[in-house]
Amino acid sequence: MNAVLTLLLGFAGIAVGYGIYAKSLNKTVIQPDDNKATPAKMYMDGVDFTPANRNVLFGYQFKSIAALGPIVGPIVAVRWGWLPALLWIIFGTFFIGWVQDYSSIILGVREDGQSFGALSYRFISPRARTILLTFIYFYLLLIMGAFGKIVGYDLMSNPAVPLGVFIVIGIGLLAGQMTYKWKMDIIMTSIITVVLAFIGIWLGTLDSVQNFFAAISGSPDQIVFGSVTRAHFVWSLIVLVICYFGAVLPIWRWAQPINYVAFWIVFLGILAGTIGLFIWHPAFPADFPAFTNWSGDLCAATDCSGIEKTVGAIGPLWPLLFVTIACGAVSGWHSLVSSSGTARQLEKESDALFVGGGAMFMEMFLAVLALLTAVVGVGVSKGFAGYVSLVAAGKNAGVFAVGLSEMMSHVGVPTSFGLPYGSVFLTLMALTIMYLVVRFMRVASAEFLGDKMPLFKNTTFGTLVALVLSALVIWTGFWVRIWVLFGGANQLMASLALLLVTLWLMSQGKKYMWTLLPFLFMFVTTLYALLLTAIKVFSQVLAGGLPIDKVVGNILAGAIAVYLIIAALILGWDAYKSYKKFRSEAPAEA
Amino acid sequence: MTNPLLTNLLTNLKKTAKMIGEMFYGATIYEMMRELNKERAQLEHLFILIVFGDLLGVPILPPYYTLRLLPYVMPNITGWRRSMLRERDMTDLCDQDIT
Repeated sequence: MNAVLTLLLGFAGIAVGYGIYAKSLNKTVIQPDDNKATPAKMYMDGVDFTPANRNVLFGYQFKSIAALGPIVGPIVAVRWGWLPALLWIIFGTFFIGWVQDYSSIILGVREDGQSFGALSYRFISPRARTILLTFIYFYLLLIMGAFGKIVGYDLMSNPAVPLGVFIVIGIGLLAGQMTYKWKMDIIMTSIITVVLAFIGIWLGTLDSVQNFFAAISGSPDQIVFGSVTRAHFVWSLIVLVICYFGAVLPIWRWAQPINYVAFWIVFLGILAGTIGLFIWHPAFPADFPAFTNWSGDLCAATDCSGIEKTVGAIGPLWPLLFVTIACGAVSGWHSLVSSSGTARQLEKESDALFVGGGAMFMEMFLAVLALLTAVVGVGVSKGFAGYVSLVAAGKNAGVFAVGLSEMMSHVGVPTSFGLPYGSVFLTLMALTIMYLVVRFMRVASAEFLGDKMPLFKNTTFGTLVALVLSALVIWTGFWVRIWVLFGGANQLMASLALLLVTLWLMSQGKKYMWTLLPFLFMFVTTLYALLLTAIKVFSQVLAGGLPIDKVVGNILAGAIAVYLIIAALILGWDAYKSYKKFRSEAPAEA
Repeated sequence: MTNPLLTNLLTNLKKTAKMIGEMFYGATIYEMMRELNKERAQLEHLFILIVFGDLLGVPILPPYYTLRLLPYVMPNITGWRRSMLRERDMTDLCDQDIT
C-alpha cells in the first residue's frame, strides 16, 4: 500500500460518496427548493440570520468542524492497525458522517432555524432537551480533560515547544490590537504576525531556550501527588491560566485574533505536509501491521521489552474504534454547528449539500492525512516500534509532530524545525479550542444554576468552577479512557441528531431508513462502548494498586460513563415512544 | 484574436481563485465579522429596548421621545422584536469551532 494511493482512495470515497450517494439522496428525498425562503432570508437580522455565499459558508463550516478530533482520533485508532481505522474513516463518513451534518442543516432550514434544544423538546420529549444539554456539558468537560492532558504532555516533553506557543499567543494579541484598535489592513496584519510567529517557533528551538524550559519542567521523578509529576502539574496549570484569560476577556481581544494566527500556522503545516507526502509518496512500512489484534493490544503485536512504560490493550475493536475516531468519521458536535450556525446562514436550500456534505468529506480527507502521519510519517522513520514507544510514553501529539515533520522535510523544511513546529501546531489547535470550551462551560453553568445560585452568573466564579473541574479531569485518570468517553458523549449527540432527523423525516412522510439505520448503529455502539469503559475503570479501582490520582480519575470517569448510559437509555425510551407516535401518524412515504 | 480555449481557461481559473478566496474568507475573517455584528446588534437592541421597551411591555421613556425616534427605528422594529422574543438555549451558542 502506498500513502499517495491511500489519499487517492480517500478522494475516490469523496467522489462516490458526495457525487453519487449524497447527491442522489439530496435529489430524491430532501428535494431542495430554491424558491423557498430560507430562515436566513426570512428572519434576516444581520447577526444570527444572515444569508451567506455558499463558498464562504463552506469555509466557515469546515473550520468549525475540523479541529483536533480528526487528527488525534485516527492516531490513537492505529492501535488496532491502520486498516480498520482507514475503513471506519471512509465508510463512517460515507454512510453516517455527511448524512448527519447535511440533514441537520436541512432540518434547521425547514424548521425555521430552530436550535436542536428546541427541536429535541418538540420531536422527542421535554426531558430530551435537558439530556442534550447535559451531554453537551460532559462533552465540554471531557474535551478539557482529553485536550488538557495532550497539551500538558506536549509542553513538558518537548522544551522546544513552549516558547513558540507563548510567542504565537503574544502575536495573536498583537494581531487583535492591529486589526481592531489600529485599524490596520488585514493582509498586512496577517503577513507581519505570521512571519513573527514563525520566528517565535524557531527561537524556541535554540539550546539556551530549551534548557530554560527543561529546568521549569524539572526531573520526571519529581512527584506532586499520586503519579502526577511536577512537569505535568506545572504545565497543566499554565494551560489553565491561558484558558482563564481566553474565557473571561472579550472574544475580540483574546480568542479570535489568536485563533486567526493559529489558523495560518495550522493551514501552512497541513499544506506543506500534503505536498511533502505527494513528493515523497512512500509505501507503508512492512512492519506496520494493517491489523494488530481485536483488542488493540500493541504489546501483543510487537516486542515491548525495550519500552520503558508498558502500553495496555485499549479494548475490543467494536465498539471502541467507533468512538475513538469520532470527528473525521462522525461527530455529534457537527450537528449542533450545522443547525445553530450554518442553517441560519444558508442562502438557498440547494447549498446545504455542498456546505454540510462537502465540508464533512473534506474533514475525512484531513483524518486520512492524520492517519498517514502515524503510519508512514512515524512508521517509515522509526518503524512500528517507534509508534508504540511514542504512544507508551503518552506522546500522541508526538506521533503527529514526528509524522508531520517527516512529511514536511520533503518540501525542504528541516526536521529540527519541523518537529517543534508540528508540536506547536497541535498544541495551538488544542489550546484555541480549550478556552472556548471554558467559555461555554461558564455560560452553561450560569444557565443551569444561575437562577438558584446567582454566584454562577459571575464571570470569574463560573470560569473558576469550570477550570477546577477541568483540572480534576486533567490531573487524574487515564488519558485513553477520557478520550473514549469524550468520543462517547460526542457520538451520543450524533445519535440524537440522527434520531431527530429520522423523526422529522417520518413526520414529513419521507424515506427515513438512511438516517434510522445510522442512528441505531451509533446508539448501540456508543452505549456498549460506554458500558465497557465503565466496567474497565471500576474494575481497575476494585483491583487496587492504583495511585490515588488514578483512583479519583477512574471513579470520575466511571460516574460520567454511568450517567451517559442512563441518560441515553431514557432518551432511547422517549425516542421509541416518539417513533411509534410518528409511525402511526405519518403520511405515506414520498 | 484571442484563443477561446485560453479565454475559457482564464475564466475558469479566475472563478476557482475567487471560490478559494471566499472559502478562506469563510474560514478566517467571516467569524470575526459575525462577532462584531453580534456586538453591534446587542448595543442596538439595548438602545431600542430603552426607547421602545413598551412594545415588549417595558415602558421606560416618555412617549414624546419615542415618537420623535420612531421613524428612524421603524425599519428595524420587526427584526428586533423577533430577535428579542426568540426562544434561546445553550445549543444556540454551538456555532463555534470546538471539536
